[in-house]
Amino acid sequence: MKAILTDTTKCIGCRECVVACKKTYDLERDVPRRWGTDDGLSARNWTSIIEKPDGKFIRKQCRHCIEPACVSSCPVGALKKTAEGPVIYDSKRCLGCRYCMMACPYGIPRYDWDQPVPYVRKCIMCYERLLDGGQPACTEACPTEATIFGDRKELLAEAHRRIKENPDKYINKVWGEHEIGGTQVLYISDIDLSCLTYGRPLDDKPLPSRTTAAMHAVPYAFVGMGSAMAGLSWFIGRRMKLQGNSESDTKDEGNE
Amino acid sequence: MQAWIDFGQGPLFRLCFALMILGLMRIFILTIIGMIEAYNRNEDKIVPFAELIRLTFSWILPITRVWTKRPVYGVVSVLFHIGLILVPLFLGAHVLLWKNSVGFAWFSLPHALADNLTLIVIAGGIILFLMRAIYRPSRALSRKQDYIWPLLLTIPFVTGYLAVHTAFAPSAYQWTMLIHIYSANLIMVTIPFTKIAHCVLMPLSQLVTGVSWKFPLGAGDKVIETLGHKDRPTWVKEPRVALDEDSLSGKEIASK
Amino acid sequence: MNRVQNFKLILWTIIGVGAAVAAARFIFGLGATTNLSDAVPWGLWIGFDVMSGVALAGGGFVITATVYIFKLDKYHGIVRPAVLTALLGYVAVAVGLLFDLGLPWNIWHMIIFWNPHSPLFEVGWCVMLYLTVLLLEFFPVPAAEFGWLSTIRNFLIKLRMPLVIAGIALSTLHQSSLGSLFLVMPFNVHPLWYSPIMPIMFFVSAIGLGLMMVSFESRFTSYLYRKEAETELLAKLGNAAKWIFLLYLLMRFGDLFLRGQIGHIFAGGWQVKMFWVEIAISAAIPLILLSIKRVRTTGAWQWVISIMAITGIVLNRINVGGMVHLNRGDTFYLPAWTEITITATVVAGAALVFLFMVERFNVWEVRPVDPKADPSTLPEFDYASQASLGRPLIAARTKYSLAFVFAAAFGFMLLSNQSLSSEGVIAASVEEARGGDTLWVDGDLDGYGVSFQHQMHIDKNGNETSCVQCHHMNLPLDENTGCYACHRDMYIPTDAFGHDWHSSPHGGNLSCFKCHQEDQHKNAETAQQCDHCHDNLYPAGATIKVDNYHAPGYVDALHELCIGCHVKLIEETGSPDIARCANCHNDQRDVVEAVDGTKENILIGNVALP
Repeated sequence: MKAILTDTTKCIGCRECVVACKKTYDLERDVPRRWGTDDGLSARNWTSIIEKPDGKFIRKQCRHCIEPACVSSCPVGALKKTAEGPVIYDSKRCLGCRYCMMACPYGIPRYDWDQPVPYVRKCIMCYERLLDGGQPACTEACPTEATIFGDRKELLAEAHRRIKENPDKYINKVWGEHEIGGTQVLYISDIDLSCLTYGRPLDDKPLPSRTTAAMHAVPYAFVGMGSAMAGLSWFIGRRMKLQGNSESDTKDEGNE
Repeated sequence: MQAWIDFGQGPLFRLCFALMILGLMRIFILTIIGMIEAYNRNEDKIVPFAELIRLTFSWILPITRVWTKRPVYGVVSVLFHIGLILVPLFLGAHVLLWKNSVGFAWFSLPHALADNLTLIVIAGGIILFLMRAIYRPSRALSRKQDYIWPLLLTIPFVTGYLAVHTAFAPSAYQWTMLIHIYSANLIMVTIPFTKIAHCVLMPLSQLVTGVSWKFPLGAGDKVIETLGHKDRPTWVKEPRVALDEDSLSGKEIASK
Repeated sequence: MNRVQNFKLILWTIIGVGAAVAAARFIFGLGATTNLSDAVPWGLWIGFDVMSGVALAGGGFVITATVYIFKLDKYHGIVRPAVLTALLGYVAVAVGLLFDLGLPWNIWHMIIFWNPHSPLFEVGWCVMLYLTVLLLEFFPVPAAEFGWLSTIRNFLIKLRMPLVIAGIALSTLHQSSLGSLFLVMPFNVHPLWYSPIMPIMFFVSAIGLGLMMVSFESRFTSYLYRKEAETELLAKLGNAAKWIFLLYLLMRFGDLFLRGQIGHIFAGGWQVKMFWVEIAISAAIPLILLSIKRVRTTGAWQWVISIMAITGIVLNRINVGGMVHLNRGDTFYLPAWTEITITATVVAGAALVFLFMVERFNVWEVRPVDPKADPSTLPEFDYASQASLGRPLIAARTKYSLAFVFAAAFGFMLLSNQSLSSEGVIAASVEEARGGDTLWVDGDLDGYGVSFQHQMHIDKNGNETSCVQCHHMNLPLDENTGCYACHRDMYIPTDAFGHDWHSSPHGGNLSCFKCHQEDQHKNAETAQQCDHCHDNLYPAGATIKVDNYHAPGYVDALHELCIGCHVKLIEETGSPDIARCANCHNDQRDVVEAVDGTKENILIGNVALP
């Protein structure tokens, strides 16, 4: 499983990763639009740099969760978790329900609101380049190695090594190691990165597992409810018959 | 002033244009529905389609119909209609407006041709008005709106011509434009609700006559009988003008 | 005019406006016709049309269960209207969904591409299947009018019990799965609403809403067609609904208590107020009112209770559907008028079909008898020939079509040019930044800008002769026109020419020929270029030649101006950093101050430095 580790202490905010991303996917120039958000992500910006006070920069992109909520929620499987790690999108399958946008705890997927034929847009970790044995355009472009690409286990080890070597500099946490089952875009930082999520703080339980119980119950509910209704109908009908009250049951044959 | 012009070209134009298109579609569909209903009521369901189609085409180019009796009227009328249809649709400036607002454009008339057509329409409108006013049988058949229409139709043409040839304009350009736009809008609104609706009903008129005007023989007598008016005269009122022998025949009046 | 006709006229008017908006929706896309955004991807169309629509149609399975499973025969009279309401409700849901989906023509993908993990997949399938079941359940009613359909009809009547049972089971599934949709968002949905048993709460409230909807529909049609209301029957329904509401309330509060979130109900914030309003009108007040026998058996109160409960539970669906999501807190979403119109249109369409069905088929025991209910402009009977003329194809069609046409034209008028064409770009005007040795280039004064070493650039590029490299064009009689004079918006190209400004001082339209040829179409392509009159627009040796009257947005213009040179400089200097964004976007406002010494030397638009 491939992964990206971003060390915000090394980021100089040069946006080479943003430029490389745009070049790779021929993304148009972006301008502030009515439906935009202030984190800089949009259908045309799949990664962005969030500026924080005192010259700190955080690169925002899809986290490529190990158990992604978007993949589990897409009704047609347009979003897919690949064996290599990236969560990719098949625009030919998509029907535009935007449930993935609702489900993502990081608020990553964006929409082509201005298009009459809109698609969901997000970072796909340069899946084609990965297949060719390369690395994502953003990590390749980074001049300071603030964001690096590699195997998830090795990057986790690297992250912990850096924190261990500089315990004063870093906050002792690798973002993405455990939250909602772990993500493949990891962060170490000297500032709190909770701004990357919306709502309440995340826990470690993978999001898809929240719906699994309900979804597993579906066939049982169907059969259960069906047989319960059939049984009830039979039971009530029989009881009414026994009470000699059977006319109402049989009389409405053809008049409907 | 400019605000009023912009309003007339923008929202008001959209209103009037949509009203014209939808209104014409409405009257067309209503006519067909009415025709179907009438057909269902008919006892005699035989319809001479071939003859009706022939008649329709011969009336679309009325030269053939009126040439022998009123050649001037026929020629003027046809020229008037040609200009009336071509100039608003294919004038270069109008095409440009469409291009700027909806993004696509079409063929446009050469400037000089459009100019001359405009003059023909203006002249034609005035001639038609005069002929209607002077020629007795026409006058007998005319309602108020029949006199108003040829003149009203020429207003946007006169102002349009003045807007292009500013040297002749007696008033400020913006006033000319204002009258041009608002009179054109007025015409568009009224088209579906007045006799100008013949622009879509024309192809139907012969069909309606042929399909729906089919009363069983002696139906009139039966009506009188049913209403208990047997003793009353069947023709209550004398026609106001006795038709000359060389004027329009009764058949032609009916099909108008 | 009578009630039915007035009501239908209103419906046709709504549909007319909706038709215009629908055209805009499919031509220009979602951004142009909705207030949805990346922060609020689901809005009214999901919250009302889909989530509430499915719940409102819950009456179908509740009443079929009552009559066919529990064999309470006294409710037989409302089975068919309830099934029809449900059928039309689901059709409305499907139609509403077509507007909301970005790629509605792909809706059938759910049939061939499966993702059984997705609650939405489950909802989609159940809705499709249940729609089929409802069609089959209702089919015998219209089929009774057509003799040749009798075989199918008889077969379907024999199939009724399995259909009813399948319908109930399917409803159970997707009514609850609408709640499951939100299980995947535990961190976004407000803790007062988020619960692992949301599916069950959705199911229970759907039963209550179904009963209330049947009640409302019955009362409303009774009013419309002036027929006797089934007050007694509805009171019995109300009595049953009472227990449902009680169960629902117990579940809501029990769940909050067990999850330890009960403390939230006394916290502040508008979400909490919303919670209380919702609880009050969706269950608490209806429960109290329905408990009083005298109230639930009174017609007027039945109106009040049903409308209140329907509003309340719809509010619940809209709340869960997006309103009380925590990430939406900072982005305020109010549906656009276009969204509201489409929603109203879908409802109006369903209502019209409902009226059509009850007038044409035996949905009720007796068809509406109000003689004016279906007036025709043509007589149905020809006295002369003693023959029936048949009913008109569509009664009062001239009136309805007229209302439709006017409303649609009005809708086209209301759709504004600008919101449709500007693609949502936020216009931001540019402020002046000129003069001085160091400039803080921040056109829209948002605090993010570039410190531009003006003097340094002059020195490096060859003193006075280098001005034309950047100052490529000057206004007449000006020598160093600032960028903002032509590039007047941050992002949107602007008209640098000013047609009206040129025509008015030169005698209005009489001046056309100064730029346009008399016998040509007068447009930008055929007009004289600016330098035909203004011979001092381009400084001698200007590096950028302008050949049209559209000035790119400020950001684009400056980026192109700077980046081009800086990229070239990489080779000369051997330093790749010089063309990096951060090289200019370093936000060194303090440095600018330090270099120049005083704040007064730096000109930043019209605003002083903080």
